[in-house]
Amino acid sequence: MSNSDSDDENPILYGTPLDPIEEDEVPSKRKYQQPPDQYAVDNHGRRRFHGAFTGGFSAGYGNTVGTPEGWTPSTFKSSKSNKASISAQRPEDYMDEEDRGEFGIAPRHLQTRNDFTGQKRKHHRYHDGPIPGEPVLEQLLKTVHETAAVRMLRAMGWRPGQGTGERVTRDEKKKRKTQQRVYGCYMPPEMRQNDEIESDTNSSDSEFEYDTLFAPDDYEPYILQRKSDRFGLGYSGLSRHSVLGSLSGQYGEGASKSHLVMNDKGRKVSIRGQAFGVGAFEADDEDIYATEDMSHYDFAIGGAADKPKKPANKEKGANVLEGFAKASKPLPPVPSYPPPALPRDYRPVEAGTRRSRFEPSAAPQRDQGLGRHELTAEARGALLGEEPVPKLPEPPQIVQNVPEDPIAKITGRNVNFITTNDIKETKELDFIPLKCGNEIPKTFRPFMSVPDKQARYERYLNDKEAFLREQDGNMDAVREWERDRELVEFEQAAKLYKPLTGFMGDRFTHASEPDDGATNPLCAVAKSNNSYGLATPEQVEAARRGVYGVMTRKETPWRPESLVCKRFNIPDPNVRTETKSEEKPKVSYSIFSYMESSVHDKDSFAKEQQKFSGSKSLNLPKPTHNTLPQNKTSISDERSKVDNPTPSTSGDNTNFMKRMTVAELFMKESEKDLKSNENVNDTIEKFDKMDLYKAIFLSDSENEDEGTPTSTVNTNLKEPDDFIDKPKNLERNTSPPRGIFANIDFDELNSWRRNILTDKCEKDDSKKDSKSNKEVKDTEANVEADVYGPKIPENLQKRLEGESGQDGDFRPIFRRKSDIAKDVVEINTSSSDSWVDIKEVTAKKQKKKKKKHKSKHKKGKHKKKDK
Amino acid sequence: MSELSTIATIKCKQQVVRAVRFNVDGTYCLTCGADKKIKLWNPHRELLLKTYGGHANEVLDAAGSCDSSHIVSCSSDKSVILWDVTTGQPIRRYRGHASSVTCVKFNEESSLAVSGSVDNTVAFWDIVSRRQEPVQVLKDAKDTITSIQITDHEIMTCSVDCHVRLYDIRVGKMTSDYIGHIVTFGNFTHDGQCYVLSCNDGTVKLFDKDSGEMLNTFIGHECKDYMLENVVNETDSHIMSGSATGEVLVWDLISSKSTNKFVHTKNKPVISLSHHPTESYLLTACDDEIKLWGNKSAND
Repeated sequence: MSNSDSDDENPILYGTPLDPIEEDEVPSKRKYQQPPDQYAVDNHGRRRFHGAFTGGFSAGYGNTVGTPEGWTPSTFKSSKSNKASISAQRPEDYMDEEDRGEFGIAPRHLQTRNDFTGQKRKHHRYHDGPIPGEPVLEQLLKTVHETAAVRMLRAMGWRPGQGTGERVTRDEKKKRKTQQRVYGCYMPPEMRQNDEIESDTNSSDSEFEYDTLFAPDDYEPYILQRKSDRFGLGYSGLSRHSVLGSLSGQYGEGASKSHLVMNDKGRKVSIRGQAFGVGAFEADDEDIYATEDMSHYDFAIGGAADKPKKPANKEKGANVLEGFAKASKPLPPVPSYPPPALPRDYRPVEAGTRRSRFEPSAAPQRDQGLGRHELTAEARGALLGEEPVPKLPEPPQIVQNVPEDPIAKITGRNVNFITTNDIKETKELDFIPLKCGNEIPKTFRPFMSVPDKQARYERYLNDKEAFLREQDGNMDAVREWERDRELVEFEQAAKLYKPLTGFMGDRFTHASEPDDGATNPLCAVAKSNNSYGLATPEQVEAARRGVYGVMTRKETPWRPESLVCKRFNIPDPNVRTETKSEEKPKVSYSIFSYMESSVHDKDSFAKEQQKFSGSKSLNLPKPTHNTLPQNKTSISDERSKVDNPTPSTSGDNTNFMKRMTVAELFMKESEKDLKSNENVNDTIEKFDKMDLYKAIFLSDSENEDEGTPTSTVNTNLKEPDDFIDKPKNLERNTSPPRGIFANIDFDELNSWRRNILTDKCEKDDSKKDSKSNKEVKDTEANVEADVYGPKIPENLQKRLEGESGQDGDFRPIFRRKSDIAKDVVEINTSSSDSWVDIKEVTAKKQKKKKKKHKSKHKKGKHKKKDK
Repeated sequence: MSELSTIATIKCKQQVVRAVRFNVDGTYCLTCGADKKIKLWNPHRELLLKTYGGHANEVLDAAGSCDSSHIVSCSSDKSVILWDVTTGQPIRRYRGHASSVTCVKFNEESSLAVSGSVDNTVAFWDIVSRRQEPVQVLKDAKDTITSIQITDHEIMTCSVDCHVRLYDIRVGKMTSDYIGHIVTFGNFTHDGQCYVLSCNDGTVKLFDKDSGEMLNTFIGHECKDYMLENVVNETDSHIMSGSATGEVLVWDLISSKSTNKFVHTKNKPVISLSHHPTESYLLTACDDEIKLWGNKSAND
């Protein structure tokens, strides 16, 4: 078609180029067709079909006439002058040549005339007599129709029931009969001989009819035998004869039915009954397998085998009607296939009755699978031969001992699949028990990992008041704040771990009447007019007496959606009663809503934290610290001071939440100057400058929203005693661990870290008292928040402490990063902080805060433990 | 009240007519059939105008919009369908209900459709937007919602839990009245001051909307667990209700005396009725047949 692009010589283009194939297009495998190729045209190249899916004829003037006038009616012509040329008009006169062609609308082709076809075609001739339509007589009388062949046969003298051809004598007729019977293979010669002998004897009886000529027999249709095997048509397989010898007992005595038969004695041996016969155009081959065999020889003179046959034939005739012959082989029995066996649990259902799928089936449900799910983990473990894990000290309500099946023990697997015990258990737990609040916790054990706590929890559930009184007595055993904390936990757990009763119980009521409808859908639902749960007895009574009004009326606030109000063209009542709508929060069914309502909000947390800080009674000499610029001017500071017994701690806390103003920074600076005797690190100065810088350039926006925590973190970070004054993270989730963490004791996990930190605490305290080395303190304080590396062994730790008491210069290498690296990092972070927007700053700070809080928390805990 | 007589009888060929409803101006009427179809008629001229097919089960209720351009219908196939009147095509199909939807109404501007269902909920469907979820669902009822009526700022729902609830959008409150009997149908009088409630204890009760007091009880018909409906005539002078006996009873609203009784088909329950909004025409549905009753002299 087209040459390649690389050809530089003048390209010669033949034909129309194909559309270029897009790279990501899958080329269609169809042959490319141009629109003109798709039109059917006639011989003259005119379009054949027009419109209507191109199957219609020409609209307007198409091919038929080819004139703008289209079909013009023929004008009247008088037939007076040319009577001879009058001829009836036929449809064909108005057709084009193509229409009569092979593909036209009226194709002309050869076909057999009605006379020669077997069935007569209906030929409609419309009679224009008084009765319109088809002539009645023709409908009534049907002519007997004979094909041409029958007529020809009749002409040849054929009669029904006779054969064709010349008349023959009786003998000849008989002979033909015998010959006719043979089809396919030749009859065995011995049988043929028999027939001839028979006919000879018969002919002697009918001598007198010698001159009479008979019409030959009519053609006898070939009667098919019932096919009893699955071989091909006309095939008869090799019978169970041995190839050379006869089968003993098969055809009676003396029947030598060898497959190898010698036609003429000594001349030719043919094989009968072989798989594939001799072809139509082949003569019988010389038997290549012919071997001389003694069986082919007669051992007696004369046809000894013929003799016993005759009596057998006679015998047959005795039992059989004349003209019939007994079948040599009984008909193969029609194989009868038994109907499929019905399933065991099949119950016949009357035809036409429909069964609802909701109807409870009388038969028990078949076990799903292997009944694995009915087994408990313990049962499965027992079946698998697992060593049972030593159980936690826990009441035996949950764990039920599976009675050991002796068979299962032997075979190593469950034979019954479902033990009766299991079934009982599942049935018991099948329904939601209503109104049994105290029983539920037995199935849920939120504090399973701490048995003491669990026991306390259960006591709490059983009798809250008694538990509280008891706890008051045991003040020493559990610290007060811990007790409070635990109480909150218990409260939450009590809410959380009775979801089915607590949450669902109030949504369902017991059926007031036995629900027959569940078992029998046809049972009419009983009318219940007055037993509705939502109507109070007073209402029912009032309605019964007909005293409607105040008694029966109940008004509740309802909140239409704003869109509904909009569609009703009514101002939203919620807008006016905003407070009311807020009072009633949207009901959500998440379990977390229950948890968050108790401790998750800030207020309750802060309260708890205050208790915490109050109880821990930290004896840190913080107020004596040299630098406390944080306590200066903030209102919140003042308030917290009043509130808290340890003002310094709380002051620091709250200070964290507020933004340091420029003035504060300056004051801080000046204070620093005053305390010039202090050996202030270079880094600190740097940070102060950074803070100042930041405060100047970023203060506009940040000062406006008072109380938002900002970049004061950095300033606090470098304070020497910072690790003590860590603010508490108010956002911290103090709810008891839930979900997969439910039974993990985080306190235990964290205890080692606490040890380290508190040790440090003490160490720092001692240092402060001595005021020996500020530098060490500073750096340590900075490092404090992020201690990396493995836990310090306790003994080493102690030793280090002892040393540090004497030798201030000692710095454990593993405890800190190199100073240089740290400086660089700090500078980088602060400088980057100075230019990012507020959001980012706060986010970063929150991270830091979290870290600090942790360390603080640990310290507090440790203190208490020490005592 | 002048005598009402049969003006037209229409065989709907819908197996059973579940509900018959006049349109907003009383020119046309809708019949909801058990054959899953809705038919729009001109009952005055006995003309079938259109058939709306698309529900998968019996159509239980239908309502025409205020401009007669839409129809909303509900069916026991749990769906609510909004139809275009002229094309006969469903515009929207709402499938929010969990069970058969028994009743449906448009609001006054036909911008919302409100449907009540056997799943005890009332759902608001926004017709204007293409939103498929209900705008709001009222779950106050504890049993099947049997009927809904809407005024310009109120929605009244009747339920099998023997309560009638009135949701006032203006005030933002719900008033529930305990009736003591299953309320099969509820209606407002035209002045909007009274409920007319068909109860299944064989009475029609008239309640004061504001106080919740019962004003009148109308008896004489037979209920037999049918969800009988009632209508108030155009002048608020009479109340009519069908009966299981195939009659339509007319009571005087004030005296609660049965003033009239006409037979639709003997012993076949007349369940659904609809009254012309402004003139004295009544449509009753019984079995496969609807009848238009009216003042013959006025008609002639």
